[in-house]
Amino acid sequence: MPVKVRIPTPLRTLTNGVDIVELSGGTVGGLLNELSGKFAGMDKRLFKQPGELNRFVNVYVNDEDIRFLENLDTPIKDGDDVSIVPAIAGG
Amino acid sequence: MALSDIAEQLDQADPSLARYNRQMLWAPIGIEGQKKLKAAKVLLVGCGALGTVLGNLLARAGVGQLTIVDRDFIEITNLQRQVLFDHDDIEQNLPKSVAAQKKIARINPEVSVEAVVTDVNHSNIEQLAAGKDLLLDGTDNFETRFLINDVSIKHNIPWIYGACISAMGLAMNVLPGETPCLRCIFETMPPPGMNPTCDTAGVLGPTVSVVSSWQAMEAMKLLTGNRADLSPFLFSFDMWDNRFQQLNVKRAREVADCPCCKHRQFEYLSGKFASATTSLCGRNAVQISLGTSTRVAFEQVAANLRNVGKASFNKFMLKCPIVEGEGERRREYELTLFADGRAIIKGTNEAGIARALYSKYVGA
Repeated sequence: MPVKVRIPTPLRTLTNGVDIVELSGGTVGGLLNELSGKFAGMDKRLFKQPGELNRFVNVYVNDEDIRFLENLDTPIKDGDDVSIVPAIAGG
Repeated sequence: MALSDIAEQLDQADPSLARYNRQMLWAPIGIEGQKKLKAAKVLLVGCGALGTVLGNLLARAGVGQLTIVDRDFIEITNLQRQVLFDHDDIEQNLPKSVAAQKKIARINPEVSVEAVVTDVNHSNIEQLAAGKDLLLDGTDNFETRFLINDVSIKHNIPWIYGACISAMGLAMNVLPGETPCLRCIFETMPPPGMNPTCDTAGVLGPTVSVVSSWQAMEAMKLLTGNRADLSPFLFSFDMWDNRFQQLNVKRAREVADCPCCKHRQFEYLSGKFASATTSLCGRNAVQISLGTSTRVAFEQVAANLRNVGKASFNKFMLKCPIVEGEGERRREYELTLFADGRAIIKGTNEAGIARALYSKYVGA
């Protein structure tokens, strides 16, 4: 089931400004790996190493932190809202 | 209490509270809440975009004592969003905290404002925070936020995180011992240059207002004793995309093995992760070394700087000219960034200016 993932502004420099990417779903980890495969540099922004997110990026499914769910193994179903929330510094 | 009762009480209240009538009509604040605001001592760290909106709202709301600390001066590009400043302040070449103090004195002379012109760092932040009821985040960089977080947890003083870029923002209350802290949410900061900053990717005035208005409202709840009404969420939005979210972070304290609030290791406050600045005598330059080892992706930094100046890089270093100000206040700098995150800023001998430029254009 394809899932639309919104790319947060700080990561759009990597997607040439594209704000929504359609990915094939499965699990959160699967989605993020697929996203990393599509855009150069995305892998480094999201992952510290394969299977481990950087500690300055959080992912939420339906407003729940995936760390409280099944982390990267959290399954994604049709209609789920996936948010990538990177730490931002401005102010 | 019925509204008519409040109105009657307000009529008989201390005339010095008259200016707060519309605010005291809101029952959860009332006269008692107003008196609590008057007794409150708040430290505002950073007086740029978020900081000026926070200072403006809290001064008008009647917070008794505000300490405003900032290392920077005002430039023409600040006026689009930094609501306490105007052209006169630029003409007078005032530091931001001093200009804010002067403006607030005209808005509400009952507020006692202390203006501190300094670079907040691990050696002075505990002194600045001592005796305060609340710490407010008006900064533009991760290092200072993690410092505020350390001081908050160590000394049991609440703080309110706020950050924004372009049309998106994040904000969260940190109540030591009750809520997750910032490092439960973001344990580490991104390597320098990885993330765009307001000075490389831009920021819109309404974004700033939403983040800092959220912070100010939470501050008012906290300072008037309405703690049960505080938001337990990480507030996240993108106003250009029409998205507003309340992210559930309640369990982050249990899940995160947080070095700060769980293990009480205050790594930023101890200076372990502190950046160091060294003035390079006779060269009109300052070197900045980071407290953490990292690898900088020059391609990303050059892309972030594309609207700032023409950056060139090889395997070892990146160079970019930076121009700030206009007319008599025009200043030319040159940023040289090394692969380990170290930088040399040419064009100044002042550590505070160099550190500010690093935060604004590299981002850390």
